[in-house]
Amino acid sequence: MAGGLSLYQEGASLLHRAHPLTKGVFTLSVIALAFIVPSLYWILAIALILLILVIVAGVLRRLIAVALALLLPIAVLLLAVQGFANPANHTVLFAIGPVVYYTEGLYIAAIAALRITCLVVATFLFSFTTRPADITEALMQRGLSPAMGYVVQSALQIIPQTLDMAGRIQDAQRSRGLETEGSLPKRARAYLPLMLPLVLSSLVATQERAMALEVRGFGLPVKRVRRYEFADSAVQRVTRWALALAVPAAIVARLLGWK
Amino acid sequence: MGILNAFKVRMNTLAIVLIPVCIAIDWAGHAVASGLKLPLFLDSIGTVLGALLAGPWVGGIAGLITNFISSGTVDPIAAPYSIISLAIGFAAGIGGYYGWHKTWQGRVALYILIVLVASIGSTPLNLGLYQGQSGVPTGDAIYAALVKGGWPTWLAAYIDEASGDIPDKLITVVVAILIYFGLPNRYRALFSVWRRTGDEKAPAPAPSV
Repeated sequence: MAGGLSLYQEGASLLHRAHPLTKGVFTLSVIALAFIVPSLYWILAIALILLILVIVAGVLRRLIAVALALLLPIAVLLLAVQGFANPANHTVLFAIGPVVYYTEGLYIAAIAALRITCLVVATFLFSFTTRPADITEALMQRGLSPAMGYVVQSALQIIPQTLDMAGRIQDAQRSRGLETEGSLPKRARAYLPLMLPLVLSSLVATQERAMALEVRGFGLPVKRVRRYEFADSAVQRVTRWALALAVPAAIVARLLGWK
Repeated sequence: MGILNAFKVRMNTLAIVLIPVCIAIDWAGHAVASGLKLPLFLDSIGTVLGALLAGPWVGGIAGLITNFISSGTVDPIAAPYSIISLAIGFAAGIGGYYGWHKTWQGRVALYILIVLVASIGSTPLNLGLYQGQSGVPTGDAIYAALVKGGWPTWLAAYIDEASGDIPDKLITVVVAILIYFGLPNRYRALFSVWRRTGDEKAPAPAPSV
């Protein structure tokens, strides 16, 4: 975690060069559509589009590593529970002794798992191809308050520092005889002695940080200038609007009986 | 006045600077818990603490951005639940505004309110995302048993979710309150969520000794 939190990977692909807002709108719309479309085939089509974009962005290998670690336990849990206990179950797929597994549950679990896969892949695709600084800068250019931009950027810097400090505090407390291994009650008792010093020291630093920011003009009611412009194009603007409008259109289609 | 007064925006630089620190505490709380292999998330201590110190907006925004950042870095599925973190921050901020964290009954009320907000809020998301499961193996085993026993899915989903939230939020609230009272008085006063407005009387001056 020491290298910062961002998953961004340098690159020059179409996705890396796209305007951050285009990528943001794409991610949100694709996730919404994956949950709106009615059948397995539509979800598979969305997953296929995402897969092509992942390959275009050149992040396939990294994405498989992080996405599998996250998705595998969820998929297993979904397939196990729904195939065994879903109100729609009545066609037996197989039975091992008293444990009966049903087809309907399997199908429902597969759809749910695929939708979650689309969510995870679309989000990682965005994080791999967009600098966190770029997305906050783009949002601030569209009217996000600079204070919120500061909060996000500052949190991304403070989190790794705090996690480092947590490691140091753990070493210090263990050298004083704090038990961090063993039975559950023993480990639970170690929680507070680790958290208290961490929180107190990070909170106490805030007052100085606030003063340091204020003397540099943070919070002054002045007009801010842009640090840099993002390349935008008519094609991207049209894409953004088309993607944003596809979501309500899909909801209306579903309400009108799209199956 | 009343409940809405807690939401009056009092965002000075100090309150804004507190938000990223609360986000980092959320992360550290979770990291220390998984380092100790505790079976809980404990990822909203900063949210609750920020809300008690500086009001519902600081807590709510801290919770919201905690989830946004974790969805952009380690766990994309956290994104839909950001709305729950916002609500937990608001709930704790309202509790803090009324000074619930200072009395025993109030602390219990704060805990119950946060558990209700978290579990009632998460259940519809679990139904939409996971067919009602919570993604925690023990909770999901309860869910499977209840649905198998003929319970309606929404109720099984709620019990599944609550079985995780009840212990998790207990530790969260206890730790947040312990830290709150571990802070120097002078520091807590810096944020002073509670401010008298014109029509409220000033308290009687302290008796001189």
